[in-house]
Amino acid sequence: MRRGERPILQLPRFLVFAFMLLLAAQVTWHHYSQQHLENRYEALGTPFSAAIYGAMAMGSEQLLGHLLALRLQLHDSQAGQHFNYNLIDYAVLLDWLDRITVISPGTEYPMLLASRVYTTTRDQQRLRLILGFIQRRFEDNPQLHWRRLAEASLIARHRLGDLGLALEMAAALADQPANVEMPVWARDFKFLLLADMNELESAIAIIQALLQSNAVHDPDEKRFLEQKLLEFQQKLFDSQQSAYN
Amino acid sequence: MNSQTISLFRFLMLGILSKRLLVLVAVMVLGAALSGSFIHELAIIDGAAIQSAFVADFLRYGLALLALLMIATSVAEDYESRQFERLLTMPLARWQYIAAQSLVIACLCVFLVLPVMVLISIYSNPALGLYWAVALWLELFLLGLLGMLAILSLEKIPQAVFFALAIYLLAKLSGLITLMLAESVKLSEGSVTSRVIEYIFSAILYVLPGTRSFAENDVFFNSLDLMALLGEQLLGVVVYALFILVVCLVDFYRKEFNL
Repeated sequence: MRRGERPILQLPRFLVFAFMLLLAAQVTWHHYSQQHLENRYEALGTPFSAAIYGAMAMGSEQLLGHLLALRLQLHDSQAGQHFNYNLIDYAVLLDWLDRITVISPGTEYPMLLASRVYTTTRDQQRLRLILGFIQRRFEDNPQLHWRRLAEASLIARHRLGDLGLALEMAAALADQPANVEMPVWARDFKFLLLADMNELESAIAIIQALLQSNAVHDPDEKRFLEQKLLEFQQKLFDSQQSAYN
Repeated sequence: MNSQTISLFRFLMLGILSKRLLVLVAVMVLGAALSGSFIHELAIIDGAAIQSAFVADFLRYGLALLALLMIATSVAEDYESRQFERLLTMPLARWQYIAAQSLVIACLCVFLVLPVMVLISIYSNPALGLYWAVALWLELFLLGLLGMLAILSLEKIPQAVFFALAIYLLAKLSGLITLMLAESVKLSEGSVTSRVIEYIFSAILYVLPGTRSFAENDVFFNSLDLMALLGEQLLGVVVYALFILVVCLVDFYRKEFNL
């Protein structure tokens, strides 16, 4: 049985006043502390040259490159807070990604950070910068990076809304010589871009294709993609349900 | 002659093996395993490779310091307890002490790398575990000999450990120092002082172990020819170890003991 409630106006005046006052205080405090927090964000420093990092690694260049990538990955978490990617200077970020690529040649980590982490920014200019990095670095090792370019192409199509750039990336995939091993669907990526699919449907299609063609060998990445697939399928289902209702 | 050396080795070995050593190794392995797991959790991809490489390097430097301290302490105790004077009254040659101490270092290094081999084999694969154990044994043996030379010459633990570590790090960071000196020559527009310093350092590099004498951590990320790497490292370590042993003998034979 629901207990009856007295109207708000019948409450003691001081209580209502105190409630309003403290609500305003809380909102003001939150507003200023957020601003203060943003001021506390420590910007990404400029990296040293690759030669210095290589010499500092004491023979463990690959390990140092991966540890620097982890440090970069954690840069947006400072003092127990997650900072918005819009606070990151993407020009410096690209310097770091370039540097790590040079220190640890043959690693996918910087390209993965670029395609999966730093493309989540809503800022179009930053997004264009990071997609440019992926497009540029793809040429270093198409065999290793074709999946990143495929993902970047999808992001250019749906998040940047630049079909021209997306098709340019898809063409780069299609133009790869036969000795670069990749599934047929990756070479025909432009059809996926031109198909009448939204971002979620396209993402689900590419993840399913990646998993079914055994293109992902790293168990951590496989697990990550399986989680994302479930998440995207749920989101798609929810959006379809709400449209139906 | 050999049996005397073996007896001396057994006597010295018993002095170095202790419960404290066992506990320290266990703590180090546990620390490496825990921090390695943390790193693995952070990585989005290549978690296993990063974890193995991190644990391998963590244990490399941790055990290097431990080995150095154990060896320096052991020889320093011989000095303090006037063990050398006692040994020299026996029918023992000085070289036999160096030989016995080298055997102790070799056995200590075997003891230290065994848990590393097991851990790395679990994290990556047995072939890499075996490679890292052998490569690390060679590296620790070399450092152990350096430690022995340092403590025989300097006779004090802090100075000896500092000296051996300095040589080890100088060899490891030789690339960085060379780079800095080259930059300094450039910035000073080729001043004589900078050039002389650069020349002296490049001369010093000739008496330091080469970078190929150390275990190669990149094996955890790239498929490298492990046998070729080990062969190259073995050659470098054999040449440098023999050089150090000769220097040890020269230094030890020059010492005066009041019998």
